[in-house]
Amino acid sequence: MSVQLNTALETPKPVPGSGFTGSTDDQKVLLEISHLSKNFGGLQAISDVSLNLRAGIITTLVGPNGAGKTTLFNMITGHIPPTEGNVRWQGESVIAKAPWKIARAGIARTFQDLRLFTHMTVEENILTMMEPGSWLWQPGGKSRKAKRLDKVSRILERTGLTDKRHTRALDLAYAERKFLSLARIMATDSRLWLLDEPASGLDPNSYNLFLQLLREEVKEGITVCIIEHNLDIVVNISDRIAFLDQGKLLADGEPQTILNDPALAAIYFGER
Amino acid sequence: MTAYILNLLVLISVYAILSTTLNFIIGYAGIFSLAHAVFFGIGGYTAALVAMHVTPEFFVAVPVAMAAAAVTSLLLALPALRVRGEYFVAASLGLQVLAVTLFSEWKSFTGGLGGVIGIPAVEMFGYPVYKPWQFLLMSLICLTIIIVIIRTLVHTSFGRSLKAIRDSESAALASGKNITVIKTLSVVLSSALAAVAGALYAFYMSFINVESFMLDTSVLVMAMVIIGGTATILGPLLGAALLMLMPSALTYLTFLPQTEIGSIQQIVYGMAMVLLMIFRPGGIVSSHPGGSK
Amino acid sequence: MLFLQLLANGLQVGAIYALTAAGFSLIFGSTKIFHFAHGATFAIAAYLFHFALTGLGLHWTFAVAVSATSAVVFGVLLDRFMYAPIQRHEGSFFTVFVASFGIGIVVQNLLGSVFGRGFMSVPTPLSNSVEVIPGLYLSPLNGLAILCAIACFAALHFFLTRTFTGKGLRALSENPELVRTFGLSPRRLSTYAFALGSLLVVPGAIFTAAGTGINPAVGHHVMLISLAATIVGGIGSLRGAACAGLLIGVAENLAMWKLGTQWSEAITFAILFFFIIFKPSGFFGRATVS
Repeated sequence: MSVQLNTALETPKPVPGSGFTGSTDDQKVLLEISHLSKNFGGLQAISDVSLNLRAGIITTLVGPNGAGKTTLFNMITGHIPPTEGNVRWQGESVIAKAPWKIARAGIARTFQDLRLFTHMTVEENILTMMEPGSWLWQPGGKSRKAKRLDKVSRILERTGLTDKRHTRALDLAYAERKFLSLARIMATDSRLWLLDEPASGLDPNSYNLFLQLLREEVKEGITVCIIEHNLDIVVNISDRIAFLDQGKLLADGEPQTILNDPALAAIYFGER
Repeated sequence: MTAYILNLLVLISVYAILSTTLNFIIGYAGIFSLAHAVFFGIGGYTAALVAMHVTPEFFVAVPVAMAAAAVTSLLLALPALRVRGEYFVAASLGLQVLAVTLFSEWKSFTGGLGGVIGIPAVEMFGYPVYKPWQFLLMSLICLTIIIVIIRTLVHTSFGRSLKAIRDSESAALASGKNITVIKTLSVVLSSALAAVAGALYAFYMSFINVESFMLDTSVLVMAMVIIGGTATILGPLLGAALLMLMPSALTYLTFLPQTEIGSIQQIVYGMAMVLLMIFRPGGIVSSHPGGSK
Repeated sequence: MLFLQLLANGLQVGAIYALTAAGFSLIFGSTKIFHFAHGATFAIAAYLFHFALTGLGLHWTFAVAVSATSAVVFGVLLDRFMYAPIQRHEGSFFTVFVASFGIGIVVQNLLGSVFGRGFMSVPTPLSNSVEVIPGLYLSPLNGLAILCAIACFAALHFFLTRTFTGKGLRALSENPELVRTFGLSPRRLSTYAFALGSLLVVPGAIFTAAGTGINPAVGHHVMLISLAATIVGGIGSLRGAACAGLLIGVAENLAMWKLGTQWSEAITFAILFFFIIFKPSGFFGRATVS
């Protein structure tokens, strides 16, 4: 602790991560994962993982392929029930609740394979995220609708998709699809974003824009957890890192600590 | 000649209602039902019963028919929509087969294999509608209203939710949509409107029996939707017209053995379905050959 | 006694259903293709057996060969020339299902046009029943059908657990990605799945042609049962599909006893509904995660 304070006095802290300065341990815990386990008919995909996601920072979930990162996300969002354990969101247990209820409680996610609404336009993709209700029409009439369309326009501007407003999702280029995936999540009122490899395969310009957008959102108070393989991105964006391997949480802390650990590096790069 | 054309047009409108309502769930929601003829039948039998025992007033018989179909569709939707899409297909197939047996055996409701005869002419506000051109007008109005309803729904948030579910259920769930309720609503709506077609059919023919409501009919309507074009408004209409005209068109090809016309018809639309799925899954009317699914 | 008779009939029919359902389940489990035309394969195998035997006058071994070849060829051709192009373009469940359905309609009507729509069966002394015990009539065909089914299942089990291709097929249903790392191509395996799945209908087709008789709608009927059995047995489980097929065969016959023949088809679907409501994963299936 004291070492950190000294460094802060001596040199201005560089701005990796979200721009967050200070100790991530002090941030409020919004999502508590306790002793989560998942067994798929004999295969232990997740073993006793306990992790906290804190407000206002970006936590990156790293680990080799098959470590169980997406499975962890699936359990948080209710797409898969856990074998054991609990997840509390803002104090309330959300474990094994229906995915749509969890989404409405404020947890949003993207998918590694995007799962865009392929035959709908970009505008419709974003608009529909703002309309979770199952009623035949949305309340508020024309004025609310105009407000929603406004919001869509703003999101399109920020993600650089304004020209593609009426293009079908399946006709978009790769980078545009990634941004649409982000745009969709931006349209919701969620406070926690779970992003599954959101920037993979993006060219440098796009990825800078992407990180920029993330940082803006985090400043607004969104909590972000990203699954990422690209070390560059991990180094650049993380305020906190959680290292998962073979279903177990091996480490959870500040980027400096984790990235400098030789044992973890060995696992990550495949030398066991 | 005019009688012949009027007859054809009435039948086309009836089937167009069926194809439009089936397209609502297949094309927009991605729910494949092979049981549409069941709701056609329930609509017909219910309307007939009401007309014969209570009143032939359109505005009584038809809503009751719609209610009957809506309730029955819940029987199908509630269990089958909770699980994967393939289950719904199987369950709808099951319902269709069960329904045919029920229609054939439940004599008090359906008259058994003999069917229901002597259905009185329908009345609108007390006015009997029995002249062919009057009936055609009535059917076309019903068709138009139904098209407007469906088109409106498709362009609202409900329509977007349906399409989202069709394109990716997991993403739709992750966006807070209660997909089971949405899917159930769409099935109930589609079935209730199909019952209108059934009522119209019963009044028009004055006689109905189980033969019009078997799996063959469900398949025919599905073919209309697919060939015409899914997820479009025009597609099902085109499909209905094409497939209703096909039998007559085929009789003009005199080199075809007349006894085989029924088979040939089915072979033609079977092959059309196959070829379309390979080359143009969106159907004839689709804007993109790749299909709007 | 009637009960035993119906049970015996039910077991025979059930054995046929079990095989056909296993074929469908194998195809669907490995390739995820909803091969609705499986019933058409059955119909083709049955009709060509009949034609080879009575129309062409071939010896029954040749007729069996003709039947088997036609089934396998049909299945593989569909895979190559219909399902593969569709999967290359878009390959959604809908497109595959509709095409499959379309082909089923075409085949059913072609068979009807070419061979006639009435019921036909192959005259054979094997179908003559003998009163085994008072009130119980069995024919050699009954016993043969059941024995044949058992033999086929044993062979299938051996193939799937001992041979390389067999294991590849099982891997395909669990994890298509893994298959590639072992040097097998999913495309190739898919062809094998169709070949094997289609082959499995042949014994059933032959026994039906020789026993109860066939008409063009037989493929349709068999398809519905295979589908119901696959779901009731549990998607992904061959054992389940087979057991369910057997159960359905017996239930159908017992239903005939208590409810009359017109309800026998309905019974199958009542069973299906029951499972969908209460136990969608079926007997042995895995959990249905969307």
